[in-house]
Amino acid sequence: MAALWKTCHQCLRYGFSNASIYTSITAVNVISKRNFKAHWVAPTLRELQRRKVIEEDRNGGPKIFHRSTFLEWNYDAEIFAFSNRLGEKFNDSSLRAALTHKSYIERETARLSDIGVESNLQFHDNEALAKKGGEIMSKFINGYLRAVFTQVPEELIRAMHDFLTSNATLETVAKHIGLGDLMLCADFPCKTETYVKSFKAVVAALAESSGEERARIFVQDLVVTQLYGQDVNELWNPVDPVGNLTAILKREGKAEPEFRLIRQAGSNSILAVYYVGVYSDKNFISEGAGESLEVAKEMAAREALKKLFHTEDSMRALPFGRQLKNIQSRIAQLENQPNVPLSEWISQKVMSAVH
Amino acid sequence: MSNSHLFLPSGFIRTPLQNGLGRYIPQLQRITLKFCKSHGGSRGVRDFIESDLMEFAKTNPGTVVYLKPRRHRSPCMVAEYLNGEREYLSCHEFSRDEVYKWLSYMCTRSGIPVMRFRKYQHTDYPTIQGVWNPFTHQAPEINVAEFPHEVLSKPNDQGPTATEQLIEIFKKTQMEDPANKPPN
Repeated sequence: MAALWKTCHQCLRYGFSNASIYTSITAVNVISKRNFKAHWVAPTLRELQRRKVIEEDRNGGPKIFHRSTFLEWNYDAEIFAFSNRLGEKFNDSSLRAALTHKSYIERETARLSDIGVESNLQFHDNEALAKKGGEIMSKFINGYLRAVFTQVPEELIRAMHDFLTSNATLETVAKHIGLGDLMLCADFPCKTETYVKSFKAVVAALAESSGEERARIFVQDLVVTQLYGQDVNELWNPVDPVGNLTAILKREGKAEPEFRLIRQAGSNSILAVYYVGVYSDKNFISEGAGESLEVAKEMAAREALKKLFHTEDSMRALPFGRQLKNIQSRIAQLENQPNVPLSEWISQKVMSAVH
Repeated sequence: MSNSHLFLPSGFIRTPLQNGLGRYIPQLQRITLKFCKSHGGSRGVRDFIESDLMEFAKTNPGTVVYLKPRRHRSPCMVAEYLNGEREYLSCHEFSRDEVYKWLSYMCTRSGIPVMRFRKYQHTDYPTIQGVWNPFTHQAPEINVAEFPHEVLSKPNDQGPTATEQLIEIFKKTQMEDPANKPPN
């Protein structure tokens, strides 16, 4: 009997990963195996779960604990692992300062003075580091965008930069590199601003510890990659594409854009589609489709601008990681040189660029 | 297909935070090995700790390893990932090699729960030349054509009919007939 039980147990070790019916709201994934439990186990657990659900509904959510409240927690080991995980070397003091928030220092000093202990805590907060980190991160992002999107007007560069440095994007990045457990802050669960500040401070700490070059690669690997999968034309579009196209062609000395209807279907129905083509001096530039003639005309003008700026759907893939090795110097050079703004954009001005 | 995957969620393959695009970040944040110091069920875990654990910790410096001796409890490992997910695995009566195998399995996971992959590839850019629509590759002549049209009304892949082919064969035989050659 015991031998049979052991054989069953061993040969069912690779059991299918069913979600256990007793999962808590903080889903712990169990690589489950067949278990033979006594008859009272299931009803007991069911009752406990029922009571837990009632309690949590009353309190407005499950109880959450910071990871540092666990018995198995070693902050020094966590910091060591953090820097190794990213493959970077940090100065210990810079990294610790980058992860310490002003709110935490205030809370600690208040707590100690409440007890009556004289506190000469040697904590540095991350205010200055965060500010510096934000500036250098913007600089690195702009450098990359201008080196990769050479034909694009400065307005789109700014829109992409704003997307990459938005609180939502930076919070996601910060959470996924493990900053949530390492930050010393008074608020729990930590606010978005706390995450963003910590991340910016970490970038500054890296620049201090390993140099600007490594910090640039860090920002490119972690922040700029969030642009992947994002359609850049959703981030920014010129307000009057027809007017802008006319102005650009006029500045280049080409003929005025001529819009012609090239395809249509279902004009009497709800699902009407019109294809309008843009021609300059009888040369086809682009076509656009829409549910009405006006919409199709605007889409055609947008497509023409996308073609000029090299941001069509078929544009070249963005380079990341090792593909940036050869253009790092160019990126550094373009950090301080804004692209041509839309009001002055002509092809000749951007033709000399690389990529 | 079988029904055994009905409760297993399905999805498309993905990775947290575009991992690997810029640099690869090992997703295992920390692993906690809980074991009993004396019970027989923890023997494999104890042997693993004594022999292979240091090497594991050195090769994975981005993962924090916690050891938690717990009396009278069966051994287990809890892996925590950077996206906040936790994986629990009971290591009761595992051998030392099995512990090593499952530990290295935990290292290769991202925290995304086990699911049936619908496809083994994923792309954010499914089309480069643009999705086909009925107007793709249409001759522009249809815009100003009057129908019925000599060329456009016919199916464009229609070859010569049998009658036309016979006429062609007849013409060829006509040319080869020596009686039709002008006398020299």
